[in-house]
Amino acid sequence: MSEKIYTLLLRLYPARFRACYGEESLQLFRDRLRDEAGFYARLRLWLDLLTDTVIALPRSHRMGQPATGVATSPGLADGLPSFEVLDRAPLRPAAIVAAWLLSLAGAGAFFILLSYAGIRPGSPLATSQERTQSQSPSRSSSATSPSAAPSASPTSAPALTRAASTASASVANTPPNTLPQNLPAAPPASVQSPPTPPVDPAEWHRVVLGAAQNLRDHYFDRSLAQQAAAALLAQEKLGADNAAPPGDLAMLLTGQIRKATDDRHLVVVYSATPLPSVAAAPSSTIPAAYRQAMLRQNCTIEKLATLPHHIGYLKINSFPDPSICRQQIDTALISLNSADAIVFDLRNNSGGYPDMVANVAARLFDRPVPWYNPRATTSDPSWTASPVPGSGLASKPVYILTSSITLSGAEQFTYNLKMLKRATVIGEATGGSAHIGIFHRIDAHYGIGIPETRVINPYSDYDWEGVGVEPDVKVKSADALATAENLAEQRLQPNRTPR
Amino acid sequence: MPKRKLDPLPSAAFHILLSLADEDRHGYGIMRQVEQQSGGRMRLGPGTLYSSIQTLLEEKLIEEAGPPRNDDSPNSERRRYYRLTSGGRKLARSEADRLADLLRLARSRKIFRGEYV
Repeated sequence: MSEKIYTLLLRLYPARFRACYGEESLQLFRDRLRDEAGFYARLRLWLDLLTDTVIALPRSHRMGQPATGVATSPGLADGLPSFEVLDRAPLRPAAIVAAWLLSLAGAGAFFILLSYAGIRPGSPLATSQERTQSQSPSRSSSATSPSAAPSASPTSAPALTRAASTASASVANTPPNTLPQNLPAAPPASVQSPPTPPVDPAEWHRVVLGAAQNLRDHYFDRSLAQQAAAALLAQEKLGADNAAPPGDLAMLLTGQIRKATDDRHLVVVYSATPLPSVAAAPSSTIPAAYRQAMLRQNCTIEKLATLPHHIGYLKINSFPDPSICRQQIDTALISLNSADAIVFDLRNNSGGYPDMVANVAARLFDRPVPWYNPRATTSDPSWTASPVPGSGLASKPVYILTSSITLSGAEQFTYNLKMLKRATVIGEATGGSAHIGIFHRIDAHYGIGIPETRVINPYSDYDWEGVGVEPDVKVKSADALATAENLAEQRLQPNRTPR
Repeated sequence: MPKRKLDPLPSAAFHILLSLADEDRHGYGIMRQVEQQSGGRMRLGPGTLYSSIQTLLEEKLIEEAGPPRNDDSPNSERRRYYRLTSGGRKLARSEADRLADLLRLARSRKIFRGEYV
């Protein structure tokens, strides 16, 4: 019995040790067993053995690879690569079976975890897959924007965040009568907390009905609105895609509406924090705080400078409210009159007031040009107020620096000047947020943005919503300024008069 | 050059070298001799004993030897006997010198009470 126990203890040692000294160790144990009779002697023997095992086991395992320090390279045996194992004894069948079972169990556990955690219904991954599947047929039939298909869906978390930033960006843009406070401050909050419980069916039904009703009431194309509303109700009746978390419901409905209307300016948003009701919305507080912020931040002009070769450089991080900042911005632009080329750095510009965008652009033309504003409240075509007296910029080459966080109003500026071939856009594709329309509250947590005016795009079929503005010269945003300086220098060199 | 495994020399390995100074012994013999020469303070278990022996063999400080003629232990023909090599003897001597130096140092520092060592 004692010997069996010791044999088991011995199995803890590495195979190499057992092969060399297993029998001898056993012999030593037998010798001691024979010589050390009596209770206390035996007790001492076992204590010795246990202590010895604890002390010697790690050491023997370390020594189980004695050759590592001086191992010769296995190299090529007869020109064939060969492997050298550290343990000289061949693997026992039991070890192979155990390893096989262990790896099987490990792989099984991994896939079970994956199916529960990774692509649980309603998780961002699963939803984006579902959405891609449900959207692809409609997108492939849409000839106007084939390249838009992959990014058209607002289902992924970044896309919703983008939509949200549009929403918050348009706080500043919304005309006073549209109650900017209605807009959710942070609709994508739901996306950040995965374990949100699913929407209960009553809430689900209410949101679908609310979205459909708002579409019928407010979307500028009545027949499309009817179609989209019908599609929403039909999808709900089919019971498709139920048991999703709240944020996913918003994305799901957005997808269904956009599929029915092919209009990416429509969006359903979810806000974890309750949305204020329409009545409780004093509209005069924001401008005061905003005015102070603008004055403190020099109307978001981060840098105004003349670079070598008389290149004027304006880094501006928003298009601020003209009623507050018109003078500062105009002064800055006038100071650029003496430059030979202008660089607008919009890499950190997240948008602003369409009037300011138009105001800046007007200085770049010597005659009125068609001006596209997706937030216009009328369908009438608009024009720039060019020429602007005192502006010397109309004849200067213009470069616009962009990044993936160039958004909204900054994208309008970039897109329009690019379409008018008035500027060279350098950097990264912009974020892709145009206008999600006027915000309508559905209930405490859901709202829908609906364009209420059909705005004609004078340049092309589609603007940058969801796709961004592609630069003319695609470089990393960090390299955009250097690239612009190079291009401007090359362009100016032949014509420049010596100063 | 890989670091020598026996630098510093563990006390178990030093005791094994000392136990083989006068005659060749098998594992159990070494264990008993070490126990005896250490006044019962060190009883080497099989794991410690044989992993030390393995290292000493690899460093060529001891070697395997045939059973001595006068051995009367059971299964003596199946046991492995170990013998101190000249390298092992040299190492044991230098370790003893080192300890003697330490002892002299300790004496000079007067940490001993009385003159019993």
